[in-house]
Amino acid sequence: MSGNQKRTSVFQQLHEFFYAEQSPYGLALVRMLLPAVALIPMFRRFPRVRELFSSDGAPQQLAELFGHGAALPELPPALASGLYGLMLFALVSAIFGFRTRIALLTGTPLYIYFNLLDAVGTMTKYTVIASHVLLILSIPPCGAVWSVDALLRRWKEGRAAAIPPTFPVWPARLIQMLFAFVYFGAAITKVQTTAFFSGEQMRYWMFSDWNYPNPLGELVAMSPAILLTSGYLTVVWEVSFPFLVWRPIGRFYALGFGVVFHLLTIFLLGLYIFPFICIPCYLTFLMEADIVTVRNWFRRIRFPSGWIAAPRVSLARLIAARPASVPLPLLWAGCAMLATVMGAEADYRFDVYGTRAAGKPLPLKTLDPVVARTMINSQRPLREKDKFFSFNIGTRMMAGQLANSGDTFRIGDTIIAQCNLNTPHEDLWVECVVEDEQRRVVDVAGQFVTRDLLFSNFPWKTCDRFVPGRYFFVLKSSGQEIARRAFTLTGDACPVPSGGVGILTN
Amino acid sequence: MKFRRWASALFITVWCLVLSGGIVGHALKMPIVGNVFGYFIVWDMFCGWQAYDNRTHIIGEDSQGNYYEIREPWGPFQPFNSVDRVNYDVSNYLAARHIRNVLRHSSHPQIDRIYVIQEIWGKQYNAPDHLWHRCFAEPRDKVSVFSLRAICAADGSPIESNPDWFLAQTLNTIADNPRLRLQAQAARPYYNTFFNPRASLGGTVDAPVFNPSSSSGLNTN
Repeated sequence: MSGNQKRTSVFQQLHEFFYAEQSPYGLALVRMLLPAVALIPMFRRFPRVRELFSSDGAPQQLAELFGHGAALPELPPALASGLYGLMLFALVSAIFGFRTRIALLTGTPLYIYFNLLDAVGTMTKYTVIASHVLLILSIPPCGAVWSVDALLRRWKEGRAAAIPPTFPVWPARLIQMLFAFVYFGAAITKVQTTAFFSGEQMRYWMFSDWNYPNPLGELVAMSPAILLTSGYLTVVWEVSFPFLVWRPIGRFYALGFGVVFHLLTIFLLGLYIFPFICIPCYLTFLMEADIVTVRNWFRRIRFPSGWIAAPRVSLARLIAARPASVPLPLLWAGCAMLATVMGAEADYRFDVYGTRAAGKPLPLKTLDPVVARTMINSQRPLREKDKFFSFNIGTRMMAGQLANSGDTFRIGDTIIAQCNLNTPHEDLWVECVVEDEQRRVVDVAGQFVTRDLLFSNFPWKTCDRFVPGRYFFVLKSSGQEIARRAFTLTGDACPVPSGGVGILTN
Repeated sequence: MKFRRWASALFITVWCLVLSGGIVGHALKMPIVGNVFGYFIVWDMFCGWQAYDNRTHIIGEDSQGNYYEIREPWGPFQPFNSVDRVNYDVSNYLAARHIRNVLRHSSHPQIDRIYVIQEIWGKQYNAPDHLWHRCFAEPRDKVSVFSLRAICAADGSPIESNPDWFLAQTLNTIADNPRLRLQAQAARPYYNTFFNPRASLGGTVDAPVFNPSSSSGLNTN
């Protein structure tokens, strides 16, 4: 009996989770913000449609990268540009909520199609997330509130339409769950990635120029302690996200950390679009009660929220002023057709290959034969020093990495000299030599650094044989000097143990 | 209304199952997610970065021995920052298409040979000046290594192809071990003396005709 009740209770909870009736304010916010962000890279590519997405260019389909051949048709440039124009119009129309459903059902497949055509320069994981969300937005009536459609209906039906309609909440739940899957999957990837938890992978990313500029990231890249801490924090948050985000208090941690995490990826990793795809989607976690709270708060602080709706209202007024004989679907279809034609015309005017402006194809740039031959016939092996990323000295360790660095130590400290290596490298014999100011060798330590290692440590107890003064750590590999670091020892020399001055055997 | 409820329940179930499949497939490295569909359900946003940075250079040579940069004269598209699109093609699939597209839409003498070259340098040299001076005591003498990836005909079709520098470097680190090299050589017979159970059943299974790609017949290794 109690088992039955429990089963019913779980079922009811599940039913409540997916089918509670709410006004789709959260979805409406995502509908307005997500396409706006997703369109930024797509607008950037508009002048290049012929080159990136048409049969007259060099598209690289995702299916081809997986070895499945060209699975999608590559259209003639005029048609591709026309459809691209249609996609832009449809997604802009979805932002305003003008014929929302048809706009999303038109724009989403085209968005996915064009992304799939350029796997090299357009398709990324943020476009995958955007595709999922756009697909889910296409299903429910996310244009039922805060849209041109809703305004027109209200003006037509009067007070009866003023009460916001309610719908089952499951589309918002699917977007929420998508992020739970995304973060959990991303955590699995990080766990599987070698050297993620020692910070090297993050460092290499931060020193790459493949994304947008990330000056703060370059600075942080040289701080292993920050890299390690942030790496662990990220994985803990990603794994805990699905377990906390639907809890009353837990969601503030899960979403708050998420916002901070995504914002930091802008500055640390140079990801400019990805965060603004993800953060707006968090708005699906806002339920009706949250929206009421936020609205009341806006009223209390007298926030001028009217201007946010101004473009939508202006467009609705413009549409309402159309001749009565023109039905809305026909108006939308007419605008869509115009966008298609304009897209094709734009391709002609952009003249991406420059042949129309120059009257002939542009010439290839010649290359200095010496430079060209050097590049083609170069047999130069990698320099020994390029196998090493850095060489630092310090006293504190953190997860095997040097957590601090310095050049002045006290007698009695244990100094750690650490070299970081660039992979792939062969098995190496690496030496660390200590020299005094007159370049006399004080001590030598050597290690095999096998090909799987990314760093190697040389600890030195300063009490053993050092006296205050200035010294050098010299890193050597294959007998060549790679790097040299000066350091100063202060304090008093350790007393020589009694009996230590016996017969020298070496 | 009831149909809608059932349809939505079905959609939710399928959607959750598909995304769960992506997580499980990715965690267990199952090949089922290694395809276009899998790309949409696998979240491998941080699957590793190389310690060396690299760029692709494509050079064309005409019959007079003049060299040309096979780079879009109308300006290359740079999808995310200041790096040309062709560089984001880590597997070098795009090279042939890129070559064909640039040659088709530019004026140039008859091109005989095209060289695809990989330029490599340590990522520490990407550090800005202020950071270099703070963190690296050595003079900043960046020297690139060049590796010939492929030689192509004028239509972009490859004539000669070499492994990617990173792969070659990894293989070299293993081949550097004389003991392993010797064992690998000793483990492969000079003549193919394998027994083919399928051929022993009779019929015309490979055996009568010499097929260089077949495992039967003379193997000169």
